[in-house]
Amino acid sequence: MRRYERLVVAAGALGLFLLWEGLVRRGAIDASLAPAPSTILDALGTLLRRPEVLASLGVTAWEVLAAFLIAVPVGLGLGFLLAEVAALDALFRPLVNFLFGVPKSIFLPVFILMFGVSIPQKIAFGVFTTIFVLIVGGVAAVQSVPRELVTVSRVYGASRWQIVREIYLPAMAPILIESARLGMVFNITAVLLCEIYGARDGIGYRIAAWGENLQMPQLYAALVVVAAAAVAVNEALRRVEARLGAWRQRA
Amino acid sequence: MTRLRRGQATLYLAILAAWEVLPRAGVVPRLFVPPLSEALGALVADRREYLGSLPTTFGEILVSYVIVCGGGILVGQLIGSSATARRMLLPVLRSAYAVPLVVLYPVMMVWFGLGSESKIAFASIYAFIPTLLTAVAGVAALSPTLAETARAFGATRVQQILYVSLPASLPSMVAALRLGGALVIVGVIVAQMLGAADGLGFLITRHRTLLNSPGVYAGIVLVLGITGMHEILLRRLERKVAAYRQS
Amino acid sequence: MTRPLLAIRSVSQRFGVDGAIVPALESIDLEIPDGQFVSVVGPSGCGKSTLLSLVAGLRIPTSGTVLCDGEPITEPMPRKVGMIFQEANLLPWLSAVDNVAFPLKLRRVPKAERLAAARRMLELTGLAGFESRLPHQLSGGMKQRVAIARGLVQNPAVLLMDEPFASLDEQTRMVLGDELLRIWSETRKTVLFVTHSLNEAVYLADRVVVLSARPGRVVDDVIVDLPRPRSFAMTSGERFGALKDRIWQHIKHAERR
Repeated sequence: MRRYERLVVAAGALGLFLLWEGLVRRGAIDASLAPAPSTILDALGTLLRRPEVLASLGVTAWEVLAAFLIAVPVGLGLGFLLAEVAALDALFRPLVNFLFGVPKSIFLPVFILMFGVSIPQKIAFGVFTTIFVLIVGGVAAVQSVPRELVTVSRVYGASRWQIVREIYLPAMAPILIESARLGMVFNITAVLLCEIYGARDGIGYRIAAWGENLQMPQLYAALVVVAAAAVAVNEALRRVEARLGAWRQRA
Repeated sequence: MTRLRRGQATLYLAILAAWEVLPRAGVVPRLFVPPLSEALGALVADRREYLGSLPTTFGEILVSYVIVCGGGILVGQLIGSSATARRMLLPVLRSAYAVPLVVLYPVMMVWFGLGSESKIAFASIYAFIPTLLTAVAGVAALSPTLAETARAFGATRVQQILYVSLPASLPSMVAALRLGGALVIVGVIVAQMLGAADGLGFLITRHRTLLNSPGVYAGIVLVLGITGMHEILLRRLERKVAAYRQS
Repeated sequence: MTRPLLAIRSVSQRFGVDGAIVPALESIDLEIPDGQFVSVVGPSGCGKSTLLSLVAGLRIPTSGTVLCDGEPITEPMPRKVGMIFQEANLLPWLSAVDNVAFPLKLRRVPKAERLAAARRMLELTGLAGFESRLPHQLSGGMKQRVAIARGLVQNPAVLLMDEPFASLDEQTRMVLGDELLRIWSETRKTVLFVTHSLNEAVYLADRVVVLSARPGRVVDDVIVDLPRPRSFAMTSGERFGALKDRIWQHIKHAERR
């Protein structure tokens, strides 16, 4: 995006917020349904100073992180296995693709049946939702390594371990990070879904509670925090992906 | 049958067999996973209840479908046909994709209550951006000379979209339909699970609260059936469109 | 008499494909003295590339031996043999200088030393100033120059080249051909140069080995007695034409079959 276009978009967003603010003050928008941005910002400030809210955010963050740290190595490992062992790939691939296309959210009640409403349940559901993206990504990453480069390395005397470190890893890195990024998006959504559906803690639980009690400023403030955090993580991973994948441009 | 097919068939049969046998043998607690036959049995036994939840569910899906796919494709055509619009809006849209939209459902419930409106609103928002991104990509992939030719013949932007851009990008639009439809179905069901008075998702949640595992699985099987059929129908449409384009 | 640098003794190569045995090379006997530039030509599928892969140590011959400096080649010997492929096959995430230094990195040569050697090689191949460019920022011809630099960086005695200019346009081919001869005259490597182009084969080499159609056998071994340095004018001369024609007769037969 060119410089001035960025400003236009930013100005546009700002304009929308000012419009919202104005309409609420005029009474055109019901403040009990959609409070003014200024009210929301106020609530945001208060919220972030309350320890129990910060604790809830911590719980959610912990669940997301734990699910991620389990799903990534297991998913990628399975992906590598499928890519390297042709027999396994042929056998399991249609199943993996089918499961990948099935909406995972509907299985949430099953996880509650299994684990009850608890933190392990949320982590397990997060893993379940995330792992398929990583399996598919793992396969794609291995398949993206140009075989000729392996031949070149052999000619120049590379050991097996050197081939993995000098050829496979850099070649696979962009796709691996991209899979991790997409996985994280699904992961965060899954954990929050769990918390809204039925939980005893976490920011999703609080969001649902504020909704039930019609505490709108707090609800919106929490939405802002969650959205900002999710976008921040996504952009950070996107930046890593861009740097590790700069060589993929076409000339 | 080739060896591969036989291997795959064996795999699927083994999975189904395990689903039936392991719970019965007590290896897996029946609460977690009831035997396949019991789940299907519940579906048949309570079929009136399940079938009764379908009209509401399908109604909500249909309305959301029209909003998302109609709106998504239309807006997608508008944005996709302008390089400037793409440049300015795509980064914003892609970042927005990362936002966990599920947190908007409590807001929808406050605004619209437990009825169908909240489900439609949520599913529409949930499915809109991915559908839009697919549609934009489809239009952006069109050769720019197409639009230039249309403009040379004096077509207005609307005419250019309706008579040139839309038909030319039809396969991508069907792909956007397929994605949007799948997300709309999930969106509606999940919204029903989170808070509703009726619908298939509501049923599943109710069975879960009553610890009626066969009921829960029966509902899930039904949802999978709906998404599966949608997938098959739309893939068939995609193929027809592609074949029609070849001729 | 001095021992030849490369000796290919009664080498035959057979592949098993889908249960059938496909002979690729049959009883190849070649002796190549140190510092000779040898072109290898033949109809498509005659096994030229297979021959190169045997000398590179990527495969072991089904029968016979390949010897380099008296030692049989059973695995890649990167310090003795360098190889350049039709596609430059540079690592796309490494800069030119890092690509050239890559073989040294595999041998764990310290960074400063290997980068210095790499820069020298890039200078030799005419790419001074392009060290930090990534492959996608280089033209096809430049990429091949980097590949040649990489092949030379360990100062191997032998350079194997498998149709290195095949994917380049004609003018770049001619320029790189002259560059290659310049580098060769400065470094005096032994070169095995596989090519489809008879022009290239005769222009560049001291000697042209002609293989038959599959299974590849040596059907001719032509000494190119044109003076060095070679010039473009020679290519329109009588001697050049006669040499090309002699080679073409063999290949013509084979391609028709």
